[in-house]
Amino acid sequence: MKTFTYTIRDEVGIHARPAGMLVNKAKEFECAVTVHKDGRSADAKKLFSLMGLGVKCGDSIQVEADGTDEDAAIAALSEFFEANL
Amino acid sequence: MKSKIFGVLQRVGRSFMLPIALLPVAGLLLGIGSSFTNPTTLETYNLTGIIYEGGIFYTILDIMSKAGSAVFDNLALLFAMGVAIGMAKKEKEVAALSGAIAYLIMNTTISALINARGGIEAMAENSTTTTLGITTLQMGVFGGIIVGLGVAALHNRFYKIQLPQVLSFFGGTRFVPIISSLVFLVVGIIMFFVWPIVQGWIASLGNLVLRSGYAGTWIYGIIERALIPFGLHHVFYMPFWQTEVGGAMIIDGTLVQGAQNIFFAELASKSTTQFSVSATRFMSGKFPFMIFGLPAAAYAMYRTARPEKRKLVGGLLLSAALTAMLTGITEPIEFTFLFVSPILYVIHCILAGLSYMLTHIFGVGVGMTFSGGLIDLTLFGILQGNAKTNWVWIVIIGAVYAVIYYFLFSIMIRKLNLKTPGREADDEETKLYTRRDVEARKAAKQTGDITSALILHGLGGKSNIADIDCCATRLRVTVKNPAHVSESHLKKSGASGVIRKGEGIQVIYGPQVSVVKSNLEDFMETPDSEHPERIISANSDEISMGKVKEAKNIGSMTLVSPMTGKVIPLESVEDDVFSKKMLGDGIAVIPSEGKLYAPCNGIVESVFDTKHAVNLKGDDGSEILLHIGIDTVKLSGKYFTAHVQNGQSVEAGELLLSFDIDGIKNEGYKLTSPIVICNTEDYGEIKTLTDGDIRKGCDLLRLTRKEND
Repeated sequence: MKTFTYTIRDEVGIHARPAGMLVNKAKEFECAVTVHKDGRSADAKKLFSLMGLGVKCGDSIQVEADGTDEDAAIAALSEFFEANL
Repeated sequence: MKSKIFGVLQRVGRSFMLPIALLPVAGLLLGIGSSFTNPTTLETYNLTGIIYEGGIFYTILDIMSKAGSAVFDNLALLFAMGVAIGMAKKEKEVAALSGAIAYLIMNTTISALINARGGIEAMAENSTTTTLGITTLQMGVFGGIIVGLGVAALHNRFYKIQLPQVLSFFGGTRFVPIISSLVFLVVGIIMFFVWPIVQGWIASLGNLVLRSGYAGTWIYGIIERALIPFGLHHVFYMPFWQTEVGGAMIIDGTLVQGAQNIFFAELASKSTTQFSVSATRFMSGKFPFMIFGLPAAAYAMYRTARPEKRKLVGGLLLSAALTAMLTGITEPIEFTFLFVSPILYVIHCILAGLSYMLTHIFGVGVGMTFSGGLIDLTLFGILQGNAKTNWVWIVIIGAVYAVIYYFLFSIMIRKLNLKTPGREADDEETKLYTRRDVEARKAAKQTGDITSALILHGLGGKSNIADIDCCATRLRVTVKNPAHVSESHLKKSGASGVIRKGEGIQVIYGPQVSVVKSNLEDFMETPDSEHPERIISANSDEISMGKVKEAKNIGSMTLVSPMTGKVIPLESVEDDVFSKKMLGDGIAVIPSEGKLYAPCNGIVESVFDTKHAVNLKGDDGSEILLHIGIDTVKLSGKYFTAHVQNGQSVEAGELLLSFDIDGIKNEGYKLTSPIVICNTEDYGEIKTLTDGDIRKGCDLLRLTRKEND
């Protein structure tokens, strides 16, 4: 299991569009990807639960990958967050 | 096989008790009401001064008579529903509805065919009747019974049917009225062709009676009784009572035809010294067995009932006996033993026939308005004097009849162990069901039971449940203590959500909920339901592996439009994220009104902080994103108002958001609003049902789940 922490800089947070992009990114990997925020968590491969977290600008989140390709997933996802959020 | 038929007949007999319980009251109303509104009676006894049309006594008696007839005129309908209720294993209210509908449809079908043939004039005399305003064949209670039995059979076979996904709304109990209607349309057609043939046979029996003297009277009596359950007695006796078949006579210079007409003409005539027995032989025989015989039979049934049940059946039997005695309305008693033990009815028919013959032999000349109770005996026998009527013989024959009926019924019931009221074994019915349930359970997938066990345990066990019902997609349960409800168990049973409102618990399963409910109710009748947790622990592997999902993920659901405006395909939305379906398949609406409503029943998963979008979890498990406008996230909530909160349960058509169309437009944003099914992968088909302009609440999308694996 690998994790990283990220603070959202995008002013509108993880709304529909970035959530959709994040889900598609997470689905590229076999491992389970979970996003934690303030004690709540969401499956990053499920748009609905991810949007339900209501992540806003300035929120600090933990991204967790667990599975065979967790290293690659963590690398790709942190790149994605830097570029988009 | 024999015991099976016997068992079925006994259940039919018991299912009769519900409508029969009504008959004594109706019989008394009809008997008393009609006797004292009969113009002949009133004139004969100079009552016209007190009881006259328009007067208060007449009106009260008339109301009694009409209220009583309302029951007897619609007896067939009562039996159609009553037998269906009695014979249905579960969901009895659905069987009742189906019975009523099937009865209406069968008779309407016959009515249409009668019209097609040229109206009632083209039918044989006395072969038609009007029931519930429908002109139809005279089938009596028999018509209702075939409907009741047929509907119950269809009901028991189909009330849990699962239809293909697109039709799943019509599955389960909803299918029963549908199939019943169709089947009894066909039955109506068949009856139209078959029944008149049967009626023809009966009418020709009349000739036999006329040619055979005393024996003929006996045969007349037997046939008249035997035909009552089939409603065929009218076809049979009416010619005797009302036409020249029953004799013709010149009284005071006028030709009078028919037995009853002759009696009343003689009653009115001052020159009558003795009533013509050749006419009254078709009537007088009713008195001995109705006033004496049947009440004695009722007493025999009372005495043979188990002691602890006597009180219970005593009321039914006493009132039924009184009705027969006073008014000559015998159905309440006769139907009590007719189906439970047809053999008793056969004996009764033979004795009734003998009663007719004996009164004929002894020259009894007592007529009647419509039946042979004490009221008619008093008016047309005793008050006329023994010289004219020989009414004393009725009492003598009757006294003998009372003894015969009492001992015959007592002996037969005890010897053959007949299950007349108060003698049914208490556990019999339960035993019958349980064995069938066991077989059904063996045949059914085991997971079905696990599902029910999970639900039951989740609801806090059998003792915690006050009431179970369901709507289109949700199991609606009233529990005694909400604290005992375990949402996690309910979720494991396949529920896509649980809504708590005090003692009201709604468990969301989607369109298949009626099957879930039926299975649960079945399960609750088995001994296993006392300890659902045992089944759960015995099957914990399968449950944890998620194999128990029978209840959800099947069926289809229709989304209605959440907005008024114009429908466009998702592909035409000016935003790649939506048009390329990165978030899932769906549709879009360009709203003309600034209001967003729920497209289905569900739970608000989340309202975006910026209030421009709502995530709604539909009752069937669909994950619906309702997004107003393109890039409107940047408005940070300006122009938007939310009317719901996270976690709130909503019903289709409930207002979710309102927004200011002009304000959003003026800021330079497009209002195109995508409606996206985020879990598109769970669906086999997402079909657009309309295009162009649409109003809120009209059908928009149909979501059909993938086949269950």
